[in-house]
Amino acid sequence: MSVFFEQLLNGLTIGSFYALVALGYSMVYGVMKLINFAHGDLFTLGSYLGYTVLVVGAGWVTATFGVWGGMAVAMLAAFLGIAVAGILLERIAYRPVYKAGRLPLVVSALGMSIFIQNGIMAIWGPRFQAYPMTAVPKEIITIGDIRITALQLFILLLALALMALIYWLVEKTTFGAAVRAAALDKDTATLMGINFRQVIFFVFALGPALGGIAGVMTGLNYGRIIFNMGWVYGLKAFTATILGGIGNIPGAMIGGLLLGILETLFAGYVSSAWKDVFIFLVLILVLIWRPTGLIGEKTAEKV
Amino acid sequence: MKRILLVGLIAVLVLSLFAGCASPATPTTTPSPTATSATPTPTPTPTGGGVIQIGLQAPITGNFAAEGQWAKQCVEVAAALINAKGGVLGKQVEIVVADDASNPKDSALAAQKLISQGLKEVIASYGSSVTAPAADLYDKNQVVSVGYGCTAVSLTMDKLRPYFFRTAGRDDTQSEFFAKLAVETLGAKKIAILHDNQDYGKGVAEDAMKYLKPYVDAGTTEVVYYDAITPGENDYSAAITKIKQLNPDLLFFTAYYPEAGLIIKQARQAGITCTFVGNNSVPTPEFVKIAGVDAIKGALMLNEPMPQFLTYPESTQFLDAYKAKYNEIPGSIWAVYAADALNALCAAITKAGGTDPDKVAAAMRTMTDAKGITGALLFTDRGDRKDIPYYTYIYDDKGELSLYK
Repeated sequence: MSVFFEQLLNGLTIGSFYALVALGYSMVYGVMKLINFAHGDLFTLGSYLGYTVLVVGAGWVTATFGVWGGMAVAMLAAFLGIAVAGILLERIAYRPVYKAGRLPLVVSALGMSIFIQNGIMAIWGPRFQAYPMTAVPKEIITIGDIRITALQLFILLLALALMALIYWLVEKTTFGAAVRAAALDKDTATLMGINFRQVIFFVFALGPALGGIAGVMTGLNYGRIIFNMGWVYGLKAFTATILGGIGNIPGAMIGGLLLGILETLFAGYVSSAWKDVFIFLVLILVLIWRPTGLIGEKTAEKV
Repeated sequence: MKRILLVGLIAVLVLSLFAGCASPATPTTTPSPTATSATPTPTPTPTGGGVIQIGLQAPITGNFAAEGQWAKQCVEVAAALINAKGGVLGKQVEIVVADDASNPKDSALAAQKLISQGLKEVIASYGSSVTAPAADLYDKNQVVSVGYGCTAVSLTMDKLRPYFFRTAGRDDTQSEFFAKLAVETLGAKKIAILHDNQDYGKGVAEDAMKYLKPYVDAGTTEVVYYDAITPGENDYSAAITKIKQLNPDLLFFTAYYPEAGLIIKQARQAGITCTFVGNNSVPTPEFVKIAGVDAIKGALMLNEPMPQFLTYPESTQFLDAYKAKYNEIPGSIWAVYAADALNALCAAITKAGGTDPDKVAAAMRTMTDAKGITGALLFTDRGDRKDIPYYTYIYDDKGELSLYK
């Protein structure tokens, strides 16, 4: 039984990474009807920003603020840095082609993905970088037979807290209502006095910023980062988004967590080699049964 | 309408599989399989002007970027040594580099790029799955290619590629060596094997099972776990938790160093204390960097002779020249094999009296006196290197390798 719980924890950890990245996809899609393919690369960029904060001046940040303080600084830096990057991305790559329709937007997104990826490679190099071991807490918590690192627990709690915060922000506040209204029908929402620009600003700052934090968490938890790692996470998070229902905030969270748990349990109890086959099979079945995802939007498509 | 949208989304997703990854290799015209018998290029004869051009296809970027860069540095040092001695047939050797980004798709593009530049001899590449599509293209276009970091048995045994050679050994030697080490030397009763589902990792794992079978049948050992992970991911905790529960004495990981580093780190974190054996692509400085010195202490590595343990006069000369330029020795033996691929090609070109691919390929098979950094450069009819020995190495608590018994 303890093995089951340990696998469940493993799945939740992976799932919370997927969910955080998926949130960014879903928020942007909800408002802009655009799949932001550069999102996975912003996640990588966040990871590298956190890495830079932790290695600069031979670990000065960790030495000054302690291990946990250093991690907080790195995450904050990635959060703010990627928020700015997200806003810039919208200004440079999306706003000029927004009126041209969806296809130019998607092409622009793919172009930005390649641009950011190669930019990271040009700055930090094509080889693996490793987060410094001294910047990561080493405590291991044992409950019964279950071993979990303090870092893993922290990441899990922080991810869940962030998701709760976003849920509250989007579902329970007046501003959140404006975001949802803009997602539902941009023109009517604008007529009702909702500042669409502000909504876009919010979505492009917060969505990528969550990915940026997830990037730092990945670096801290696994150690190694590389310029093209956003691809794998982007793909899985995108799958999670579709699974939960694209454009739907709780859907992205549930899709991410579910994906992580399903793939871990399958890998743990059946075969790790076939887990991706299983995941995509589940995705296909869900889409046949519910084309809009598990808790996808119920609104009719505007034709 | 929603369905159409979703189908569209998935189509875009699939498309982005091809477009999403950075592809630094210049995409030249798509390879047309029908153009084999026709002249591939309007023969630009790059050998004119006292220069012999030799291609190097290597993973300059991507997961194996470290290997690619070492290979490039090694080949350049070897070329400088050859040129200092007067070159080949009185001509200077020039290296043309193409990046295959550590993946099979870009590998085909890189190969096409070198072929369309009219090169007749190339060194290519690291990674068996990456090398295979390139080797096919080179072979179709009658370009001699020499692999340096590709040890999968299937490369030379599944089909005959008359223009393909490799300076690295073959994995069945390694798997046989592993089975003996695990059971007879280490006395492992419960063995776990984890591979990466690619040509190389899977090949080693399957062969290991084959060579372990007599011991398993005799009841001396058992394989309690045999599964694969997906390369490129970060979290292998599901497989590791399962392995931990089975409590093996020995974990044999057969794939590349980026995953090996994560596996051993996560395994030690999860409290698995069993012996870790890594196969021949694992022991590199990158593995130490990813896993951390604490996690790899006592880990055993199978490898062909490592660069630091080479003792031929040619190796000393090469390593000194390399050290003088880069202040360290090459990170892996594969990069040194890349240099030896150049040495072999140059010896064959000298013997053939020119760069004609058919004559060079024939010379590669028949030469008997070519000496490289890693010993005599002798090849079988199928293009395999002859006489490559295997050793076991162990990591100490400083992350340094030494010979294990």
